[in-house]
Amino acid sequence: MLLTRTVAVVVLLAVSSVMAFAAERTPAPKNAVVYIIWPPDGAVIRGGKLWVRMGLRNAGVAPKGVCMSNTGHHHLLIDTDLPSFDVEIPSDRQHLHFGGGQTEARLEDLTPGKHTLQLLLADCNHVPHDPPLYSKKITITVPPY
Amino acid sequence: MKIMIRNLLACLVSAVLFSGVAMADRTPAPENAYLYVGWPNDGEVVPANRPFRVWFGLRNMGVAPKGACVPNTGHHHLLIDTDLPPLDQEIPSDRNHIHFGAGQTETTIELPPGTHTLQLLMADCNHVPHDPPVYSTKKTIYVR
Repeated sequence: MLLTRTVAVVVLLAVSSVMAFAAERTPAPKNAVVYIIWPPDGAVIRGGKLWVRMGLRNAGVAPKGVCMSNTGHHHLLIDTDLPSFDVEIPSDRQHLHFGGGQTEARLEDLTPGKHTLQLLLADCNHVPHDPPLYSKKITITVPPY
Repeated sequence: MKIMIRNLLACLVSAVLFSGVAMADRTPAPENAYLYVGWPNDGEVVPANRPFRVWFGLRNMGVAPKGACVPNTGHHHLLIDTDLPPLDQEIPSDRNHIHFGAGQTETTIELPPGTHTLQLLMADCNHVPHDPPVYSTKKTIYVR
C-alpha cells in the first residue's frame, strides 16, 4: 500500500517536472519558418569557405538575453543531429550560437568532404521554442583542395 | 561687415557644436558592417498584383528589436521609392519607410506596376541610424 502511494507520488513528481519543462519553454511564434537561404542543398563549396545566410519568416531576431515574444536567435548545427529541445543548446564547434542577433554566419574551416548544415532557433535563454523551430538539414560538399 | 562676420562665425561655431552633440548621441556601428537587399536583384522584373518576398542581408552586425539597445545591433528599415532620410534623426514611419522593429529579417510587399526602388537602412533601438550609417545600395525593380 505504502509502495503504491510512493509510486503514485513519484509518478506525480515526474509528470509535474515534465509539465514544468513544457511550461518554461518559450512558445514558438505562429507560422514561423526557419530556413537556410544559402547555400542550397547539395551545393559544392570550393575552398570550404562560405557565408551561410540564415532565413526566418513570420518571426524576429533578438540577441541572447533579450526576451521578447515572437523572437529568437539563430544556431547553426554543423555535422550533427538536433540536440534535446528542453535544455540549452550546447555551445561548441558543431553548435554555433549567434547570440549577437547575426543573420549570416561565416564558415572558414570546413574540411574536404560532405558536411551537413541545419538551423535551430532558440529563445533568449538558448532553449529551443515549443514547438521547436528548425530548418531542413542540408548537405554540402567541399571538394579536395 | 564686422558684425556680419561675427554672426557668421557664431553660426558656424554653434553648427559645429550642435552637430558634434548630435553625433555623440548616435550609436556606433561596426566599421565593416555590410547591409544589402538579398532579393530582389537590381533590375529584377517582378509580376504585378502579386506579393513578393524581400530578404535583408546583414554581415558583421546583428539584429535586435526596437527598444533592445544591444551594441553592434539594429533593426531593418526598408525604403521604398525614396532617398535616404536625414541620418541624424529618427527614420520617418510611413508607406515609403517601413520599420521592422520586431527584428524581422525579411518581408513580403506588393507594389503597383511601374519602376520602383528598394533600399535598406539600419537604425538603433531608438530608430536613429548608426554612426557611420549602415545602408544598402539602392536597387531598381520593375513591376509589370
